[in-house]
Amino acid sequence: MKKPMAVSDQGQGPYITRFGPVERTTHALIIVSFLGLVATGIPLRFAYAGWAAPFMRALGGPASAAFIHRICAAITFGYFFIHLVTIIRNLIRAEDKKTIFWGPRSMVPQPKDIRDVIGMFKWFLGRGPHPRFDRYSYMEKFDYWAVFWGVAIIGGSGLLLWFPAFFARFLPGWMFNVATIIHGDEALLALGFIFTIHFFNVHLRPEKFPIDLVIFTGRAKAEYFEEEHPLEYERNQREGRLASLEAPAPSAATYLWSMGLGFAALAVGVFLVLLVLYALVS
Amino acid sequence: MAGTIVSVFVAAALGALLAAPAAAQQRDGDVACKNCHANREFLVGKGGSVMPDSVLFVPDSVLHDSKHAGLSCTSCHPAFASGYPHRVTAAFAVPCQSCHEKEGQDWARSIHAPDAVTRGNAPTCATCHGTHHVLGADDPRSRTYPLNVAALCGSCHADPRIIGTYFGAADQAQARTAVSSYYKTIHGTAMTKAGLVVSATCSDCHGAHLILPPDSARSTINRANIATTCGQCHAGVLQTFDQSSHGQALRTGAKTPTGHSAPVCIDCHTSHEIVPASDPAWFRGVVRECGACHEKEYGTYFETYHGQVTELGFGITAKCSDCHTAHDMLPATDPKSSVYPTNLVKTCAQCHPTANENFVRYQPHGDMHDREAFPLLFWTWLLMTTLLVSVFVFFGAHTLLWLGRIIIDRTRGGSTHPSDEKEEHP
Repeated sequence: MKKPMAVSDQGQGPYITRFGPVERTTHALIIVSFLGLVATGIPLRFAYAGWAAPFMRALGGPASAAFIHRICAAITFGYFFIHLVTIIRNLIRAEDKKTIFWGPRSMVPQPKDIRDVIGMFKWFLGRGPHPRFDRYSYMEKFDYWAVFWGVAIIGGSGLLLWFPAFFARFLPGWMFNVATIIHGDEALLALGFIFTIHFFNVHLRPEKFPIDLVIFTGRAKAEYFEEEHPLEYERNQREGRLASLEAPAPSAATYLWSMGLGFAALAVGVFLVLLVLYALVS
Repeated sequence: MAGTIVSVFVAAALGALLAAPAAAQQRDGDVACKNCHANREFLVGKGGSVMPDSVLFVPDSVLHDSKHAGLSCTSCHPAFASGYPHRVTAAFAVPCQSCHEKEGQDWARSIHAPDAVTRGNAPTCATCHGTHHVLGADDPRSRTYPLNVAALCGSCHADPRIIGTYFGAADQAQARTAVSSYYKTIHGTAMTKAGLVVSATCSDCHGAHLILPPDSARSTINRANIATTCGQCHAGVLQTFDQSSHGQALRTGAKTPTGHSAPVCIDCHTSHEIVPASDPAWFRGVVRECGACHEKEYGTYFETYHGQVTELGFGITAKCSDCHTAHDMLPATDPKSSVYPTNLVKTCAQCHPTANENFVRYQPHGDMHDREAFPLLFWTWLLMTTLLVSVFVFFGAHTLLWLGRIIIDRTRGGSTHPSDEKEEHP
């Protein structure tokens, strides 16, 4: 049998559910809106680069770019809002509310995450075993909080610049200077991180190349799940939840849009970060 | 050419001898001249060809149509007053300056005069004004009529041979293209396309007779005189410019610490590439021009949305002149300045109609690298930079070490899978 392209479809065992529809949809919305925001933002930030003016013309000019930027900003505020609602809903429904904010299955950084960071560096240097991750590795937690913090900071400063007349009713004008610095630098951090570090960690490093579809299809082969998140897998096994998490193979349609969106996002992201790198070194 | 002239003279002499009685030959005045020079037969050449265009053929219809209709032949040709046969001497030359004294003096001091005398191919009076059919500059048929001046000057200044001979030097690039580029300027298109005779043509800026190179102190295009020259037409702009910081500095000769003197009209508008102020390529150049002296402001401008959009070639955001005015710029300490604190709301409201006291506390030239002047921007910048550097250094190392681990393991033929590690280190 031909080996599946996506690393999450490789290995033994049934498919196990890892992400629900809300998480998958949120990630897809993040991809679309973030690429749109970056593409319409970098020609301004790097206006001095040779590619910036033709790029801006291709976007239809500053007014058109601003419109696209704001549509994507609205999507961003939308998924951020949905996420906050989801947290509240989960909090209401959860039997043990504490587990959302603390413990091995929480997104909140735990002492184990610090041990895992140290463990990974030891492993890099050949001085210890590869740490065994729980439901979310420290890298995934960093990704999550970077987006959470990023949306708040970039979104907040962006709102200031979007509605200056409103904010000038009670804020001094130099706040727009501060907002401009924060907005641009935080955005540079976000795009630099997502398009290099996140891409490498999750999709492009040799074990995972060319793509990991688990966030798109929501499921991964059991063997792969166990490799990536052994503690979570073993807990599910121990607590007898594995059977209920079993899922059918992704449908052809799901597989197709997952591959399409995933590879398109990788390509566009790499292209955009190369433009930025070119501007930074030129 | 010389042969033709000689044959004309021979024919003229023969014709005169045969046609005119001896008594008439002695008569002074126009009638005597016209006997020959108003007679077309007189101009029949050796081969029988008639030369109606020759300057020697001067019928009444030509003379009476000219500005000189009231003059007699000998007013301009005094050397021939003694009658026939003519003595061909240096006194042949027509002394225009005996009447047109000032124009003659001006021409004699102009850049055209020395070359006209020594090399013979610079213009004299007749080159531009013609000979017997002299017309006023207000006559649409005249070569000196505003609509025709560029073509007149261009007959030499757009001639590749003249350009090659006189304007070959590296620093004369502008002289090489002056006439052709003039037609593309707002002055040239106003003249040729809109037919607007009040638009500027060559002589309006360079003068008609006292044409001097820009390094000559008396030249109309000397830096010190440019504003006055342009101000002949743009009088309102000249008034405001004179009162501006730049106008004042120009009068006092003040220079910037970097040795720049005050800008004059052509520094922003150019001379032969003048375009409407709405042209995107031009306003980018003007911003650059302002930045030649105002370096710090130039740098900080491009860190704002205003500057970034301008940099991209779109003219929709504020450029220097939108806030500082184009010709009336004054320091922010001057109550008349558009950027004086109490005038800011009005200035910003041109684009931001809802601008209020808070809004105008925006720093359009805020410098995040200047800790003294903009401490808050500096600390914000430092905080953000520290954050960026920390994240990228940490995760850069994380990624590179990881990649190194993978490469080492793969070259050793081992595996990097955590599940395999798990077996070894339960």
